Amino acid sequence: MSTKIKIKYKKKEIWLGFWLVLPAMLAIFITAFFPLLKTFWDSFFSFGLRPGILKRFIGFDNYVRLFHDARFMTSLWNTLIFTLISVTLEFILGLATALILNAKFALRGLVRAAILIPWAVPTSVSSQMWKWMYNDQYGIVAQILYKLGWLAPGTPILSEKWSSMMAIIAVDVWKTAPFMALLLLAGLQTIPSELYEAARIDGASGWKQFTKITLPILSPTIAVALIFRTLDALRVFDIFYIMNKSVETLAVYNRHILMDRAFTGAWFGYGSAISVVIFLIISIFAIIYMRSLNLKFE
Amino acid sequence: MSVKITMAAGAVGKELEVLMNQIKMFNKIYPDIEVQLLPMPNSSTARHDLYVTYLGAMTSDPDILMIDVIWPAEFAPFVEDLTNDYDYFELDKFLPGTVKSGTVQGRIVAIPWFTDAGLLYYRKDLLKKYGYDVPQTWEELKKVAADIASKEKINGMLFQLNQYEGLVCDVAEFVHSYGADFLDANGKVIIGDPDNHARLVKALTMLKSFIDDGVAPKGVLTYMEEETRRPFQNGESVFLRNWPYVWSLANDPKQSKIAGKIGVAPLPKGDIEGGRHSATLGGWMLAINRYSSAAEKDAAKKFIKFLTSYDQQLYKAINAGQNPTRKAVYSDPKLKEAAPFMVELYNVFINAEPRPITPLYTEVSDSIQRHIHDFLLGKVDIEKALKDLESELKMITGQ
Repeated sequence: MSTKIKIKYKKKEIWLGFWLVLPAMLAIFITAFFPLLKTFWDSFFSFGLRPGILKRFIGFDNYVRLFHDARFMTSLWNTLIFTLISVTLEFILGLATALILNAKFALRGLVRAAILIPWAVPTSVSSQMWKWMYNDQYGIVAQILYKLGWLAPGTPILSEKWSSMMAIIAVDVWKTAPFMALLLLAGLQTIPSELYEAARIDGASGWKQFTKITLPILSPTIAVALIFRTLDALRVFDIFYIMNKSVETLAVYNRHILMDRAFTGAWFGYGSAISVVIFLIISIFAIIYMRSLNLKFE
Repeated sequence: MSVKITMAAGAVGKELEVLMNQIKMFNKIYPDIEVQLLPMPNSSTARHDLYVTYLGAMTSDPDILMIDVIWPAEFAPFVEDLTNDYDYFELDKFLPGTVKSGTVQGRIVAIPWFTDAGLLYYRKDLLKKYGYDVPQTWEELKKVAADIASKEKINGMLFQLNQYEGLVCDVAEFVHSYGADFLDANGKVIIGDPDNHARLVKALTMLKSFIDDGVAPKGVLTYMEEETRRPFQNGESVFLRNWPYVWSLANDPKQSKIAGKIGVAPLPKGDIEGGRHSATLGGWMLAINRYSSAAEKDAAKKFIKFLTSYDQQLYKAINAGQNPTRKAVYSDPKLKEAAPFMVELYNVFINAEPRPITPLYTEVSDSIQRHIHDFLLGKVDIEKALKDLESELKMITGQ
């Protein structure tokens, strides 16, 4: 627990503080809270952007409809599967990479910088690049899979749902495992080397050192890294939209509702309801992670 | 008094260069109208999303919108009614199909700028080598493609059947060529009508058999335009269904392996009584933002009239390879020299068939895309695909 420090401020200083904080508060309100509240508010109405469509209050109807919408349920399911598999793989690979990069070897600085390249390429660019590599006619990845006999020659990787999902997850892992590694590496570097020396003197095995020293001290960093990645994965859009938009995630389906149908009917409230659901799911995950993070500190 | 207008337009490669030159020529006649270009993304869907944002927010910019032929009905409430300007724009001299796609419930809301139609590209050299004529029916095309493909060890035919707007274009050509349709001219869903239903089944089964029999690679289910143009111009396919833009690229010896060996023909017809050659009408139109000021609207009209004039359409056709919408341009000897196929295939362009004109088009199209793509993938059989599509289209259109 942090100790409470009481400092007496002069009235003038309080006002100065208020005026200094005000612009930031206003900016946050306008860019974050207002759109959020407006989206909540809109989700209780039926309306569209086409002139002549009246805005009608319909309570929770949009939410009830959502759970009868097979397309929404599929996109929810797709999002959860993607998040679960990609974050798990990224964590395992990221941790392994971080452990390797934490050891001393020649050209370590160069390797540390080099692994970040996939992360530095904009997602839309790398998605398009991988889409070409998966192409059945001239894609190198597809040709290798055909040659290895893992896929029947000519099978398009990005047409079936499951092969698309796996291909997209592979790209996401390729792209973000380095980011995970970097976060975890920062955590690893805070562990004092004396701890390992003492453990070695006491005769602890490498595995024991890992489970008894590395993991416990690293756990807050792990939690932060997992929060980042999970929240990112839950609102995934670009990689699916570019590589195969027929496998819909929540964000891809929401784009369809808000953009393709903006002028066709009273869909805007429905789209807002989807946004709210995405917000709620992310909040649930965030709360779960925060809780487990707090427990570690106590 | 000088006016400044903004125009949202495609701005990729040659298209931008040509438009910039046209603005310079325009300013020689109207020095007091300044035209500013707002370059739009290459993808049609991305452009649509941007327009939704502009128009939904009712901003006065951009003043001129370059819109796809399938959007006028959807954007009609947001753009200027040009019905009274029919004579000003000389619309009686335009290809009637293109004018029709800019007409929504009797009101003209967009002026045709350039047009597009689905075409059959073929390898002249290979057809000659094996002694075939250009196929007239899909059945014939399949046989010829399969035979040459197996002997040359290349693909037979390439389509654009990714789940996107292009799938609707390719599918519409098959469906129309068998004398069938999803919606009738009044927007009524006619999938269940017995005769039409039988034709739909024949058309779509035929399309799927191209993939199942290996005449078209399975990958066509993931291809858009460019993924089919590249293999074709690398000499890896006998036939290709694509738009006119392919002609100049595939005939450019700098990037194409088959320059000079290409023929263009109308797409085949269905092997059925009442079958016809059909090409889906594509292309882009110009519309004026309803929320612009009167002076801006006036200047915008002048610029649109200029861009769609005879001389400018000819200039654009020769330099950007985009098809004119004025009938008379097709008999210009300069065009015949630069793009002979445009002149030879005049009948294809004049008869190109529009996709359904409905404000609900994006929803209708999305529904067709998903159900037909599932059928072509083999996820559902034809009866189920059509039944699901029928009930969904009825729900969307409120029938």
